[in-house]
Amino acid sequence: MWKYLIRSNKWTLSLIIFFIAIAFINMIFVTSLFNGIIEGFNEQIIDTSTGHILVTPAHGEDVIKNAPNILAKIESIAGIEAASAEVIVPGSIQYGNTKGSWQILAIDPERERTVTNVAAKMIEGNYLDAGDAGGIIIGSSIADSDAAEGAANPFAFSGINVGDTVTVLFGSSGYELTVRGIFKTKFIDTDDKAFITLDALKAMNPLYDNEATKIIVRAEKTGSEAELISSLKANGIKQNVYSWTEASTLMESISDSFLGINVILSIVGVLIAAITVFIVIYIDISSKRKQIGILRAIGIKPYLIQAMYVILTAVYSVAGVIIGSAIFFGAIIPYFNAHPFVLPIADATLMVNPGDFIARLETLIWVAIGAGLIPAIHITRIKLLDAIWGR
Amino acid sequence: MPTDRHIIEVRNISKTYKLGDVQVPALREVSLDINDGDFIIITGRNGSGKSTLLRQLGLLDKPNEGTITLNGHEVTRMAEKKRSLIRLKHLGYIFQEYALIAELSAVENVMLPAMMLETTKACKPRAQELLEKVGLHNKLKYLPRQLSGGEQQKVAIARALINKPDVIFADEPTANLDSIAARDVLSVFKKLNESEHRTIVMITHEQDEISYANRIIKLADGKRV
Repeated sequence: MWKYLIRSNKWTLSLIIFFIAIAFINMIFVTSLFNGIIEGFNEQIIDTSTGHILVTPAHGEDVIKNAPNILAKIESIAGIEAASAEVIVPGSIQYGNTKGSWQILAIDPERERTVTNVAAKMIEGNYLDAGDAGGIIIGSSIADSDAAEGAANPFAFSGINVGDTVTVLFGSSGYELTVRGIFKTKFIDTDDKAFITLDALKAMNPLYDNEATKIIVRAEKTGSEAELISSLKANGIKQNVYSWTEASTLMESISDSFLGINVILSIVGVLIAAITVFIVIYIDISSKRKQIGILRAIGIKPYLIQAMYVILTAVYSVAGVIIGSAIFFGAIIPYFNAHPFVLPIADATLMVNPGDFIARLETLIWVAIGAGLIPAIHITRIKLLDAIWGR
Repeated sequence: MPTDRHIIEVRNISKTYKLGDVQVPALREVSLDINDGDFIIITGRNGSGKSTLLRQLGLLDKPNEGTITLNGHEVTRMAEKKRSLIRLKHLGYIFQEYALIAELSAVENVMLPAMMLETTKACKPRAQELLEKVGLHNKLKYLPRQLSGGEQQKVAIARALINKPDVIFADEPTANLDSIAARDVLSVFKKLNESEHRTIVMITHEQDEISYANRIIKLADGKRV
């Protein structure tokens, strides 16, 4: 068989293996892209909004009382990396004559840095410093930095710059804060928020007494949420505790939609690959119809001819899968890691799920074997003279 | 010299092909005996039924009427599985266009039919010996594309001989060869027939090749003449 392969027409052999490799890349590319997009969305939720775990006030309560103690208790649990308390400030922001009811969150910047990556997403100015009672950072949706001309949000602060002053309207009073920076995470839920420090909140509301509206928690590894939630409850956390998937219903629905599209496109990809491989191998074997006829004429048993072509197509498909994988992992994935797909909501790279990869690999090999077996069976069953004459 | 033992007995075979709605008679009640050691040449004009007759004799096709007996056993309507085994063990074929497997070397092509019946180790020395006999002792590992037309046909002859067939069928084996290569191939046939007592049935158009045979069967319009 090996001799047969290396002595066969190199161009034909290379072309068949190349087509199988391309078909395989097509199969894994689509699913990897969707996995990457979904993963990108998930990371956005975790990194910019909820952390891995979200703690909210217990039923019947408006706030989490004694937040520093709760934070300490949460952070003492093995598997938890950090936690940060956030307070929703019931106010609105005014810039010039424009007033918008943008959500304002009061945070401890040092803690928040350890849970979210908003500090790394500043497009102008700087993140908040600890103890900065006079500063505010705003999301790109508030600054309207992305809006196309004529499509500006009427409540956004067009033209706002770092160093400008905004007024936070809190109760019946207004507090002037300086814009320290503008951030853009690409996650819509986060980019329409503004952050101030807990010190700024205390300056506005001297009655503030270490409460929190929510606590966001970063785990050491994604996937351990259920186990950590059990640990939190076992360690006396009485508040409501949610995983990031439960907390972000919007993203869950988007992820579900993408998963649905992924399944459909994967099936289409598998069908296209199957048809491509089938046609390529069918043509190859059909072109050997005369040769098969001669083998039959000299008395070679049909099942041996069929077995030979099944082995041949299995070798083609394994070679195609190996070359396809080498191109995919050696060139395509590194390229998209360096140049991610820029989507409005997240940047996506290609993510290969080992289960998907193996399933597609097996599918392709079985399809190729079927593609070899079917024409071989057909040619060994047609009239001998027709086979010899290549009809 | 041929003996009186009939290897093949053909009685009144007819073959009609269907071309659309038209029935085309290719053979009409042909009878003949092939004796052990015969060198028979079948001749006739194009369309006379030579190739059709050879295919019936070689069990590559079935006649519509009549019987064919091989070594005393009737094989006319035998199942394809059994016919395939008979072709492998008892009959050898040489086609006009050599019909070698392009990816296999000369010795591998010769070994191919024998590998169905015995191990590679057992048949390789015999394949090498046959190639030496046809004058290709120094080209055992050559691929078909590295051989001339005459040399390829000699490989096909060696392949036809590997399972020690009772009869060798050759369908215009020199048609694609120049006159020197054709003479070379025919001398191999002659040697096989005379020295090794091989039974050969060959189709040819060439009048000067008729002299190699001990019997001539002439066909016209599907009938013996």
